[in-house]
Amino acid sequence: MSTDRVGIIGIGQSRFTARRDDASYPDLVREAVVLAMNDAKLGFDDIEAVVYSLSPDAMVGIGNAERLGVEAVGARNKRFLRINTGGATGISSVAAAYYHIASGVCDVVLTAGADKVGECGDSQTVLNKIWDPTYERQLPLGTINMLGMSAIRYMDRYGMTEEDMARVTVKNRRQASLNPNAHLRKVVTIDEVLASRYIAWPIKLMDCCPQSSGGGALVLASERYIKQHNLDAVWITGLAHCSESYWLGDRMGKNPAADHADAFALGRSFQRAYKMAGITNPGEQVHVAELYAPFSNTEYHSIDAAGLAKPGESIAMLREGQFELGGRLPVNASGGTLCTNAIAVTAMIRVAEVALQVWGRAGGHQAKGARVGIASGNGGDHQFFGTMVIEA
Amino acid sequence: MPYKVQPGVIGCAIRPAIAARDRSLEEIIYDTTQQALADAGLTIDDIDGIIVASNDQLDGRAISVMMASGAVGGVDRDILSTPSGSEHAFILGALRVATGQFQTQLVVAWSPTEASSIQEVERLGADPYFHRALPLDELSAHALQASVLEQKIHGVRDLADTVLAKNRRHGEIAYPGEHGQPGPARWPLAAGTTTRPVTGCVAMVLATSDFIAKRGLTDVAWVRGMGWATEPSFLGDRDLSAAPALAAAALQAYQEAGITDPMAQLDVVEVTDATPYAELLAYEALGLCDRNDWAARVGDGTFAHDGKLPVNLSGGVQTFNPVFCTGLIRFAEIANQVRGRAGAHQHPNTNNGLAQAGSGFAMQYQAAIVLGREKEVRT
Repeated sequence: MSTDRVGIIGIGQSRFTARRDDASYPDLVREAVVLAMNDAKLGFDDIEAVVYSLSPDAMVGIGNAERLGVEAVGARNKRFLRINTGGATGISSVAAAYYHIASGVCDVVLTAGADKVGECGDSQTVLNKIWDPTYERQLPLGTINMLGMSAIRYMDRYGMTEEDMARVTVKNRRQASLNPNAHLRKVVTIDEVLASRYIAWPIKLMDCCPQSSGGGALVLASERYIKQHNLDAVWITGLAHCSESYWLGDRMGKNPAADHADAFALGRSFQRAYKMAGITNPGEQVHVAELYAPFSNTEYHSIDAAGLAKPGESIAMLREGQFELGGRLPVNASGGTLCTNAIAVTAMIRVAEVALQVWGRAGGHQAKGARVGIASGNGGDHQFFGTMVIEA
Repeated sequence: MPYKVQPGVIGCAIRPAIAARDRSLEEIIYDTTQQALADAGLTIDDIDGIIVASNDQLDGRAISVMMASGAVGGVDRDILSTPSGSEHAFILGALRVATGQFQTQLVVAWSPTEASSIQEVERLGADPYFHRALPLDELSAHALQASVLEQKIHGVRDLADTVLAKNRRHGEIAYPGEHGQPGPARWPLAAGTTTRPVTGCVAMVLATSDFIAKRGLTDVAWVRGMGWATEPSFLGDRDLSAAPALAAAALQAYQEAGITDPMAQLDVVEVTDATPYAELLAYEALGLCDRNDWAARVGDGTFAHDGKLPVNLSGGVQTFNPVFCTGLIRFAEIANQVRGRAGAHQHPNTNNGLAQAGSGFAMQYQAAIVLGREKEVRT
């Protein structure tokens, strides 16, 4: 067996809620770090580097807010840098930690972060500032109407209905009800989702993720270190990123560079990660998936892009229950981003949840027999996509 | 050298102070990227990964990497972004090459000056309860550091003035016509001890040894060692009269590179001289000169262009100060020295160089890299 692999040896995540009045921003980071360190059974002296996971500064109202987290992650006089790829930041941070180890420079690396989206005032006001100030910002674009336009394209190309969207929410809320760390855990019905108010047609309130507060942390280590110290681990066997154009207009119109209905770069990213992991038939070889889908409609094109369904076929497959917990290939068994979104760590939690699944430690939302899982993260204006394959 | 594959720098583009109003930031980034690729003899088709570094507040965008994705050639490519420091982009790019999973990496950082008040941008980086109301900005933090050094070390102001004059002289050789506008006074820093911010952009290209061999590239600065570390954010938790994170970073870099006597083994050094006091602290933390010897070494010109170990032949930050990308510029300057492509300020016979980057309030973040002309031979 190769000794070049990188393993996940510790996982920590908050119980996500709308507000955490009891904890400052660094307190939330620390909360997750302590959980991950205890899970890994390591001390801070064992940590050689820290990758800090924080998306837009404006969400916490402090420029370069990672500087305030240095003590919370125990990084004084240690290697430390921050990643920001928007919503993909969490998985990008895990990737950066992976590169620290895979390069041969470090044996043990911590990646951690937190967000207080529920306390930022209005995340859409912040997220409007991701767009070009001259052309797109003043439409005004937000991430909801941006992905509402994707939903319309997907409806047009593949026949998705608002009821199909509601079905994703119903599935994920049911799964979140089994996950004590999820933010929205109340089970809902299709009729309740359809009756919720429109936010940006066709997306309704219950098609939307919440604004969550909480932290996440992972400890990664080299295979050599893991074996030397007789630690338990699951393995990152494939990873990649891919980017789309900044301009939404390039994804629409008569000759789009990549259609906004789909997730072109997510698909490319998965192809690269699968190649690295030696996965040739994801629909058969993958047992569980945590796909970053902050709005119900985006779960469909994420499933397509992951190669778990042909484009558009995910609608019928989900209706048949194939992506349910207990189904053929559970998607977002944790409830996913749709039920918990603390943006800075959301994509890290996707990795963490897949790691727990293939480790057999997912508790009430464990997918039976999962040994190979995939995770994804989306950032920017549906622009940056990170993907990972994790195996027991 | 711990790397699975040794990375080498094969292309650099340092844009001096950019004053042109007829180019947008995207166009400036595009121009710089293309210049670095041309310097490497590559096209964007040869690049399989990109790391960018930028600051959302300076850019006036919530995720500033988004805008740059097209300009750096990021569409359909594996691109990551770090906002903590431009130097961190290089480190991450080098780590990715060192895995052997990427053949090439493009690293780009930029720093615009269109914000209505850069001082306010910096103040937003202070914690909202204690530091922001002071008000704390980078000049204040530099001034606090200078103040504590003046309190501890008799005569340090004269040394700082000498260091400042040295770098200004170097700048006149390296970038004639680039006269940094003097920064304002902030006690005890006199007006002109710092340099006003300018718009800047810098790009570097890294590649694996296999790629470099396959392309027959010869002007290569091989990465021999890298170190990076941080101090805590609260100034009250720090001893501003020392640079412990830089000492930690230097130790990492020297251990990787096998440097045991930096004065003897290095030929040229670039440090982030946001103030001359920061340069003096760097001498000590990098193991070049203990503070007890500052007066002697500064006085005898050890670190001048004709001295034993020239520091900041480029003129450093005192010559042009694009705030956020000054760290990566230091790295690119040393890469150019080692590659023999530093132009007017090329130092003869440069085999090994060291670049240091400091950023954040009173240099909270520190990094050091050692680049060499000779590829390491594994035994």
